[in-house]
Amino acid sequence: MLFSSITFLFLFLPVTVLIYYLVPQKTRNLVLLIASLFFYAWGEPVYVVLMILSILLNFFCGKDIGEKRADPVRAKRSLIFAVVMNVLILGFFKYYGLLMETLNVLFPYEIPYRELALPIGISFYTFQELSYLIDIYRGNAKPQQRLLPFALYISMFPQLIAGPIVRYVDIEAQLLNRVMSMRKFGQGVMYFIVGFAKKVVLADSIGALYEQITALSIGSFSVLTAWVGCLAFAFQIYFDFSGYSDMAIGLGKMFGFEFRKNFQYPYIAKNIGEFWRRWHISLGTWFREYVYIPLGGNKCPASRHLLNLLIVWALTGLWHGAQWNFLVWGLYYGVILILERYVWGRALGRLPVFVQHIYTFVLVLIGWVFFFSPSLGAAMDYLGVMFGAGASAWIDRQGFYFLLTHWLLFLLCAIGSSLRGMNILRLLTGSYESRRIRQIAACVVYIGMFLVSLAFLVTESFHPFLYFRF
Amino acid sequence: MEQYTEANNAGRTGRKGRSRSVGTAEVMKYVIAVLILGYVAVILLFTGGSSKPFDEVARRVEASLDSGSLSKQSGQALKRYYGLNSADYKGAMLYSSDASISVEEVLLIEAKNEAQTAEIREAVERRIEQRRNDFDGYAPEQVQLLENAQVLVRGRFVFMAVSPDAEQYRTAFVKSL
Repeated sequence: MLFSSITFLFLFLPVTVLIYYLVPQKTRNLVLLIASLFFYAWGEPVYVVLMILSILLNFFCGKDIGEKRADPVRAKRSLIFAVVMNVLILGFFKYYGLLMETLNVLFPYEIPYRELALPIGISFYTFQELSYLIDIYRGNAKPQQRLLPFALYISMFPQLIAGPIVRYVDIEAQLLNRVMSMRKFGQGVMYFIVGFAKKVVLADSIGALYEQITALSIGSFSVLTAWVGCLAFAFQIYFDFSGYSDMAIGLGKMFGFEFRKNFQYPYIAKNIGEFWRRWHISLGTWFREYVYIPLGGNKCPASRHLLNLLIVWALTGLWHGAQWNFLVWGLYYGVILILERYVWGRALGRLPVFVQHIYTFVLVLIGWVFFFSPSLGAAMDYLGVMFGAGASAWIDRQGFYFLLTHWLLFLLCAIGSSLRGMNILRLLTGSYESRRIRQIAACVVYIGMFLVSLAFLVTESFHPFLYFRF
Repeated sequence: MEQYTEANNAGRTGRKGRSRSVGTAEVMKYVIAVLILGYVAVILLFTGGSSKPFDEVARRVEASLDSGSLSKQSGQALKRYYGLNSADYKGAMLYSSDASISVEEVLLIEAKNEAQTAEIREAVERRIEQRRNDFDGYAPEQVQLLENAQVLVRGRFVFMAVSPDAEQYRTAFVKSL
């Protein structure tokens, strides 16, 4: 079930909220768990069993690690078993197809195999489970003794499908005791509406332009058109994913939870390091805490540091999907971060700010080509066109047509992806002296935004979130 | 943040309780691990798709179809009826009846990724619903066929059959994988 669907907006969510607030407080976790399992089973009737088994496995693994902590060797063995099991499950469902495909390319004979659909959200909930297990092993968290709160932590529908990846230590207390108020509920609704508008008004509209351009065959469009297509994708993925995250944070607030921000205006970054501190923050934090720092981080010789960075970024790339272009996309960022750290980082910092913004944004756009292309070969072809190789022209009427017919949308996207968007929203809702008028203004603006988004939703075709496939 | 320590753990469960609990958690994690292996084997058998090329699967499904009542449609028909672009997928095949009062239809598409699978499934459900609305009230036998539509997702293959022989077509599809 999608957050941006009529069924979710007008049936699932109101019914869940109503029941959640009507039942006694001690039953609310159970209501939320049942709703979450139903939400997941709606789209994944087969894989809901896998998720339940995964919850049970990690619940008992967590208890086992916790109970063996007095004996470090046994605790470590228990952790290794748990991590290996989780990595095997994730690896099987996500990378088995890639492995077989690669073997079939390498070997002269074809090995037949059965393809499996990727269980939605498996990368996200597996990473949450791993963080739980490792934190217990490190002594940063207590093993949860009751199945219900743990099952809710893993399966909670607001963040189950596409994050943010919530660390257990951040939510442990909230699972048992959380503050619910009308004010918080209202904030949640506002977050949700902003995310909803980002998705259906901006992401899906600019995504249509991206699809139109990438449907053209290589050689039939100009350099300008290629950059416009890439820019359209950059905005599509930002508004799609950050829109989902805003909706997740908003839904969390409606049920009394506080999730950390997953995006912080990444396109205003002045270097790639900063970009990644602003983009998909929960994934970056996860890799830093559970891979980069244990590998030695930057507190080691330079050669080892380089290797650590490349390992982390190769894994970050592969986390996104079982395709070689995702690996290249990850390594591309790894190499740039190494260069920023050891070669041109200081010089970059001395350049005018607008040059730093352009440098970062252009590198991010180039990176997106690896991300959106169906294969590495297709990515190289598209990149070639962006730099003139295989392009029909440098600038042509078609490119101008795309820009002229979408200039308003690009402008809205540019505003929405910078601090200006939020400032305008604050100006519209909060620049009145009277509290009453501020409340009325907020209601008018947010209800208006919701209605406009709804109009977009009912007239559009089906557009699932891009990050569902990870 | 509260730090987990052995002291508070021991204090909560007691030495005797802890040693019994260790056994339970340890046994249970192995039991669940075995259940997961069994589950994976079952879904591989019953929901797995195929690495076979689309054309091969489509040819086998085509061979089972009743050519008297169904005829092959173009990509334009797929766009018109389902709102889907055949060029977006690894392969697409649509058969439907030429008779305007018949809802018979067989669709087979291989998606490139999971997002497309969801998109196709959604389009199929919309199509069935729309046809049901069209025929509701004056052609109950056609509505019955729509009620008994066979919709199946195996890996990245999405299959739909609306026909008196829908089950037979479904079997042909499953065997072709």
